[in-house]
Amino acid sequence: MFFNSLQFAYFLPVVFLAYWFIPNKSKTSQNIVLTVASYYFYSCWDWRFMFLLLFSTLLVYFSGLKLEESKAEFSRKFWLWMTVIISLAFLGIFKYYDFFAVSFAELASGFGLHLDPLLLKLILPVGISFYTFHGLSYIIDIYFKRIEAEKNFIDYFLFVSYFPLLVAGPIERATHLLPQLKVKREFDFEKAKEGIYQIIWGLVKKVVVADTCAMYANAVFDNYNSMNSLSLVLGAVYFAFQIYGDFSGYSDIALGTSKLFGIDLLKNFDFPYFSRDIAEFWRKWHISLTTWFRDYIYIPLGGSRGSKLFQIRNVFIIFLVSGFWHGANWTFIAWGLINALYFIPLLVLNRSRNNLEAFKISFNLESLRILFNILITFTITCLAWIFFRAKTIHDAIAYIQRMVTDLHFAPQYFSFERYNYEIIIMILLFVMVEWNNRYKIEPLSGKYSWLKVSLSIMAIVALGIFTDYKNFIYFQF
Amino acid sequence: MKKFVVFIAKLLVIVVLSAVVLDVLYTMIYVNSSKRNKIEYVYNSKGKNFDVVFMGSSRTQNHMMAKLFDEKGIKAYNFGMSGSKLDETALLLKLMLERNYKIKNIFLDVDLNLNSNSKSEGTKALYMPYLHCSETIRNHYKTEASYNKLLYIPFYRYIEGDAKIGFREMFFSLTNKKSNALDNFGYFPLQGEGRNMKYDLSDYKPKRNFAYEEIKAICKKNNIHLIAIATPMCPECQSDAYFNSIKSVYPEVYNYENKVTDDKDFASCGHMNVDGARLFTSIILNDFIQNKFH
Repeated sequence: MFFNSLQFAYFLPVVFLAYWFIPNKSKTSQNIVLTVASYYFYSCWDWRFMFLLLFSTLLVYFSGLKLEESKAEFSRKFWLWMTVIISLAFLGIFKYYDFFAVSFAELASGFGLHLDPLLLKLILPVGISFYTFHGLSYIIDIYFKRIEAEKNFIDYFLFVSYFPLLVAGPIERATHLLPQLKVKREFDFEKAKEGIYQIIWGLVKKVVVADTCAMYANAVFDNYNSMNSLSLVLGAVYFAFQIYGDFSGYSDIALGTSKLFGIDLLKNFDFPYFSRDIAEFWRKWHISLTTWFRDYIYIPLGGSRGSKLFQIRNVFIIFLVSGFWHGANWTFIAWGLINALYFIPLLVLNRSRNNLEAFKISFNLESLRILFNILITFTITCLAWIFFRAKTIHDAIAYIQRMVTDLHFAPQYFSFERYNYEIIIMILLFVMVEWNNRYKIEPLSGKYSWLKVSLSIMAIVALGIFTDYKNFIYFQF
Repeated sequence: MKKFVVFIAKLLVIVVLSAVVLDVLYTMIYVNSSKRNKIEYVYNSKGKNFDVVFMGSSRTQNHMMAKLFDEKGIKAYNFGMSGSKLDETALLLKLMLERNYKIKNIFLDVDLNLNSNSKSEGTKALYMPYLHCSETIRNHYKTEASYNKLLYIPFYRYIEGDAKIGFREMFFSLTNKKSNALDNFGYFPLQGEGRNMKYDLSDYKPKRNFAYEEIKAICKKNNIHLIAIATPMCPECQSDAYFNSIKSVYPEVYNYENKVTDDKDFASCGHMNVDGARLFTSIILNDFIQNKFH
């Protein structure tokens, strides 16, 4: 059940009504409604995966209780590591086993050994990376005594399976979400209205911007051998907006949906394409994952303490893991490595935390410098996205090679009866709206909100792609 | 909560109003446009007379140079539509008759379309703007599962067919941008010579086709001489088995599949280029003049 499907349009109002109008409304009854709805939501993909989610939830729930009960350090470590290892083993088997088996066989063939690896060819359960990380942060926090283990299993079940964030995040923290689930929620009109605005804007990003860009990006990436330099540059830009519209649109819908139930989720995007350097970009892109890596890997590794060499090692580890988290393919690892390489100069020059404050643009040289930096950051981000989108590293390199050597800039006509530059106007409009509202959660609230909402709905109806609606990219992770 | 219910009700009104306004706007633009495709050309014309009309898919659109007929004083037009199946061709014929067209002969390319009774969603979309205005189109799609949604949900038909009748096409129609679909008496020339041409027909088997039979019945009823033909494929296709077996299902089909056999006359395996089309149309014209189709 996708957020941009008719099924979800029926599901959400039913859950909303059950949640707010359930007799004897209490925190427990509200949480039961949401938990049942979440398991139904998840079973719509494949009911068998429900058992995996259930197992993962029970494992972390009981381990958390046992860990807290344990006094001896050995016992505490046992419960922590057992949970971490089993959780990662499940993730590894479903997501990475075939990749490692094939890569190992290829490596062996390089030494003249012919291996015929046993492949499991398992379907990747939707959202497994997200709820695994969810559970891991919970158990680690208990181990480090940042939180107490949750005793109420309904509250814990909901914490893991809450449907707005179940399949593609944001990756919540127990410290943020659990306290909200421990109290009865009262209906707040302003919050619900904000949620609706966020859902509408998320739909604009997904069905208008991302899915339209996807048509063009797919046409370019799938036929890059016959594309000229202009098309290849545009293809990379289209993909940048596809993935941004897709994932941040999804996050907006998730956050907005959650607000309808009176629950706030962590912000996942903060206008990352307006970043002045790559460090700022990573503070604004997929924030819940970046901060997860920061808190549970980077800082335990030593973070930015120690020698520069030590810090560089930590940065490489964090970006490699981040790349690998996205999928079992060398292209994601290359994408992570490229981002690490972008980051290193900032680290070496002690400039990784230079752009923490907001900026204002006016008619002066400083503003010009900021705009130039934003453009450079966007350009190098697009280059890295080529690796993320390409099927193989060879394809990515060939794509870039052709882009810089072909040097033909005539508009090209695509097989789906479109020219490859038509969409630029829509992207420019989208960027202008985002730029003018970059200090707001969504651009629809405020002055003339009804006009903005009407235009957005018109855009969704008239410009949205519905017949061939695409999956959300991050569902595969 | 009361405020929220009112808020949602307002939003729903906006959604419905947007859909109605867009539906009316798009329909108005399409109904008044006649330069973009053959369906709107037929819809916006009345009482035309033709000695010969060519109908079918891209294999008609790219193969039949109606102009060569016209040069011989035979009033002809190519109504072939790329992607169209026989079902949409049948509807186009019905639309022509609704518009009081007088047609003496129809050349109908049936060949590959006899392999199945499938329909073309893309071509169907082009009919959708006229759903409320044409009884013929409404009757044709009455049995479709989505008929009620297409007819009664505002703008649904444009969402369903957004690739063909979405914003971009509407904008071009609004700005009166001419397409090349109606140039050259409806014939669309293909350029160049195909390379590594292949087309696997091993799974193809001609079957009874309901749309073809409907076309036959319409022609009989309206006194139109229907000439069903099979047009050439590239030599590498090895299509003899399929094309010969067409005769066993519909003996009246004239097999012209092997009348053009040189690779240089093909732009792709299923489509001849401009030289191939000229050569092929000349053969058909010659046979037509010599009354070979009676």
